[in-house]
Formats: sequence, C-alpha cells, structure tokens
Amino acid sequence: MERGEGAKFKKELVSKLLYFYFKDQKTKVSGDAVIIMSEMLKIFVIEAAARTARQASNEDARTADLDHFEKVLPQLLLDF
Amino acid sequence: MADGDRAALSQRLRAAVHYTVGCLCQEVGEDKGLEFSKQTIAAIAETTFRQCENFAADLALFAKHGKRTTVNTDDVKLLARRSKALLNFITEKCNELASSNAEQKEKRAVPTGKGKKKSDRHLEPMVTESEDVAID
Repeated sequence: MERGEGAKFKKELVSKLLYFYFKDQKTKVSGDAVIIMSEMLKIFVIEAAARTARQASNEDARTADLDHFEKVLPQLLLDF
Repeated sequence: MADGDRAALSQRLRAAVHYTVGCLCQEVGEDKGLEFSKQTIAAIAETTFRQCENFAADLALFAKHGKRTTVNTDDVKLLARRSKALLNFITEKCNELASSNAEQKEKRAVPTGKGKKKSDRHLEPMVTESEDVAID
C-alpha cells in the first residue's frame, strides 16, 4: 500500500496456497503472478481490517470485534 | 496426495495465513487507534484462506481460457476486475514489476541465468519463470 507497511504475504506461502487449491495438477503459476497475488491478498486483508475498524469506530467501540467484521463481510466479498 | 497429508498441509497454511493476517491487522489497528480481538483476526484469516480457493479456481480457469497451463499476471488482473480501484492498483503493480524485470535483464545480459538457482530450491515445483524475480 501507499505507506510501505512491513508485513506481507511471503511468495512461498502464496504459491503453496494456490497449488493447494488447484484442481488440475498441470496448472502452474509464474513468478510475477505470485508477486501480484501476494499484493492482492494483502489488499484483501487490509481492506477487511480497515472496514472492520471503521465499523467499530462507527459504533464507538475500542476493539474491533467479530460482529463488526461480520457486518462488513458481505460487501467485502462482493468487492473481491 | 493422501487425505492426511492434505489436512496437515492445510493446517500449516492456515497457521501461516493467520500469522500474516495478525501482523497486518496490528498495523491497521495502530493506524486507526484500536485493537482487533483475537476472534476477529482468526475470522479474517479464515476468510482469507477460503477466499484463496476462489482465487485459485478463477486463476486456473482464466489461464485455461487463454489456452495456457501457467497462470500469469494478466490472469491476476482479470481477477481484480470487480473493483476499479483494485484493478488500477494491480495494473500499476504489474507495470512496476515488468519495468524492474526489464531493468534486471539489461543488467545481466550474460547467459548464465536459466536454471541456475534450481538446485537450492528443495521445495515443490513452485515458481516457473522465477529467474527474473528478486528473492526477499
């Protein structure tokens, strides 16, 4: 993201995740695609966290709880 | 793959995703000045893990549609089609990556690249075309 955060999905993890789910054993992933997928997953998580945080602060809560996440989940899944 | 192996692998992948999600949530939490409960982090991690199944299925189909067996960056762009902002971001990242790859290729125009690093890659056949990618 724009503020250069530290944590991110490791390439190894991303490619293992994809290979874990591929139905066809012949399917492969190029190195570049893995890097971009790692960015994509990071955006997914940050988006989930940020929307949950916004929902929590809208409800004047100090901690983001499960019900805040549950409220933002449907729209999150529609956007990805 | 045997069922037991697959279950064990799924556990390990879940744990790895959970860890990364924890780090990312911490960063977002610091940014917004609130904390994420453990259950929320676990829920986001589980959602991410499940979402990967959709991503993987779509990527495989997109590649197949393009008569390829290797998923490339174009397939990932197609995956990001639903949100305009996301698509712009992903496209930008792809362009950055392409230009940095071009730079690296120019730097070492010596024909030693191919298959050089294959020996210390003891893991499963993961990345093809990985010779252009800096490993961090």
